[in-house]
Amino acid sequence: MPERVDRDGTPAYRFLGVEVTRREAAFLVLGILFLFVIPDIASLSDSLQLSVIHQGLLFGFAAVGLNLLLRHTKLTSFGHAAFFGTGAYATAVLARYAGVQSVGLLLLGAIAAATVMAAIIGVLSLRHTGLYFALLTLAFGQLLYAIALGQSALGGSDGLPIRPGPANQPLLFGTAFSPDVYQVLTYYLTVVVILIGLFVMYRITQSPFRNALDAIGQERTRARFIGLPVRRYVWAAFVISGIYGGVAGGLYAVVRQYVRPEGTLFFLRSGDILFMAILGGFRTLVGPLIGGVVLVFLQDVGQDVTQYYEFLTGVVLLILVYGFPRGIVGSLRSGGIVNTRLSELRREPSVLSTWSRNAVQSIERKVAESLTSLRIILFGVD
Amino acid sequence: MAVTPTAALVQTLNGIQFGFILFMIASGLTVILGILDVLNLAHGELFSLGAYTAIGVFGFIIGIIGPPGGGVVGTAVFILAVLAAVLVTAAILLPVGTLFEAVFLRQIYDRDQVYQLVLTFALLLILLDVKKFIWGDSSIRTDAVYSAINAIPTSELVGLNYPTYNVFVILVGSAVVVGLFWFFERTKTGRIIRATAIDREMATAIGVSTDRVFTLVFALGAFLAGFAGAMAVPPTAATLEMGTNPLVLSFVVIVIGGLGSLRGAFVGALLVGVIRSWMITLYPPGEIAAPFAIMALILLVKPEGLFGTWGETA
Repeated sequence: MPERVDRDGTPAYRFLGVEVTRREAAFLVLGILFLFVIPDIASLSDSLQLSVIHQGLLFGFAAVGLNLLLRHTKLTSFGHAAFFGTGAYATAVLARYAGVQSVGLLLLGAIAAATVMAAIIGVLSLRHTGLYFALLTLAFGQLLYAIALGQSALGGSDGLPIRPGPANQPLLFGTAFSPDVYQVLTYYLTVVVILIGLFVMYRITQSPFRNALDAIGQERTRARFIGLPVRRYVWAAFVISGIYGGVAGGLYAVVRQYVRPEGTLFFLRSGDILFMAILGGFRTLVGPLIGGVVLVFLQDVGQDVTQYYEFLTGVVLLILVYGFPRGIVGSLRSGGIVNTRLSELRREPSVLSTWSRNAVQSIERKVAESLTSLRIILFGVD
Repeated sequence: MAVTPTAALVQTLNGIQFGFILFMIASGLTVILGILDVLNLAHGELFSLGAYTAIGVFGFIIGIIGPPGGGVVGTAVFILAVLAAVLVTAAILLPVGTLFEAVFLRQIYDRDQVYQLVLTFALLLILLDVKKFIWGDSSIRTDAVYSAINAIPTSELVGLNYPTYNVFVILVGSAVVVGLFWFFERTKTGRIIRATAIDREMATAIGVSTDRVFTLVFALGAFLAGFAGAMAVPPTAATLEMGTNPLVLSFVVIVIGGLGSLRGAFVGALLVGVIRSWMITLYPPGEIAAPFAIMALILLVKPEGLFGTWGETA
């Protein structure tokens, strides 16, 4: 049962090691309830599709895993689609060639494959930090993409269907369901997996392990001198984050019942996953998840509105990098940029004209600067 | 399958030709990476922007001078036209690079590396759709024009049947390599750039404007990418996705050669180009995987790359 504790003067509750204030508890309960009623909301409106939100949650879940590396060890992996794709393809191969029908077994297979893959890629790329690491993870991810494209056993660019057994679908609780029911049931499965995953991630980020990772992220050499087995810890974090990707990929395969290299392994997907973490706010726990839903929703809507939806995503990214580097969740928090600006605006509405003037001025300045640079490059220093 | 010496020679030449293209892309990337400390994910898009622009410029020039004529004069005029198109393209890419650096990149050098990745990724997405907007969705083929070049039998002189355009690429590529090394070793600007790369603070102290050096370096990188794109387009078609593969391959090249080392990029590019080309005849499925296999092997033996010293290891 929840136990009352005191946190910096505000009453808080502790349950299963999760410590929340009353306000946070309300948000938590509301959030979980919201996750569970999404299928009902989606059935009311045509513009909101369950499959889109579902896909966003899955990619966002992979981003939650990536965030463990990004937030604490300051390592930027640009190849996380590798684990997502490994999970998805492991599921597909098990279903197709081993005839495995149970969703649980398929997911276990996905986890095992992603763990092995993360262990191997981790050993090879974690010798490096910074850009070299980003480059290596990207290259390994693209290698897997190349393999999936090149092997006819994996279906090449057509991909693999996941329709095992006479029921032509993976079985939940040993039973086959109609497509509509299957969609909703797998959604609930995803929600449960995500809640467990978030809980585990929360516990990790409350543990000494997280402190060790933080220390490593700030200063590797010093971390080694105080006796931390740096390489092994970072490797463990890498494998954990890979497992999150693998689970997400396995679920994706089970839900979509089809995997293609383009949708799971391509390096643009790695970019998406990284972007989701930043978009949602990579200094927060649930940020990547929300970033995932928002990004996939944005791409889906963008695809309906215009054929130039990549442009749209790019512009959102630019706004994010310059205007809201803390991401959605980070900016909405108390003390975040949105709250600060809103309270300023409430106090003094005329501040709006100052903001727009400043924005115009800074753009003008940038253009003038770049024209000067251009002139210098073309004609030399005056 | 029996491999005749001639076939082996042709494959090797193809590999060298691809290696030169790869070097032009990777050199821009490695210079930007070594000096600005930014991994420019939009580099592949600059490359393909170069390819698309070159087709337009070349078509314009051909429209003025008419179809390729026969004889020595016709050949010379035609090759000069190609060269002019390539140079014009690269010159167009120069201001694009300048704008990118001055408007977007300059503001975020002191931020976390992840923001630089996200920013260049955003530029990648934007450039992708700009290309789609200007040139449309379908690929553009150019073999009609360029097959005229290949009809000129240069290599017949030594008794070998080899496309003239590839010879042209190898010659121009060699010129670029020599030019780049000369630029960095012998010219004042090149030395200033190297000084900035080695010690940014010291360079500032002796009066180097790092802002200008950074802009110059990025513009140089864009120039090289555009040049490579313009040279690479003829044998194939220009497609919207053409930027991805060279980008990733040039990452491999940089890792093999060592971060920030121009010499490493050169050796790595030729190595990847030739081995990839051999794989096409020996074991086709290995074509895509071979460069990565070389990369993994070199990382295991020599983690800092063949000529690298700047890669951080831990």
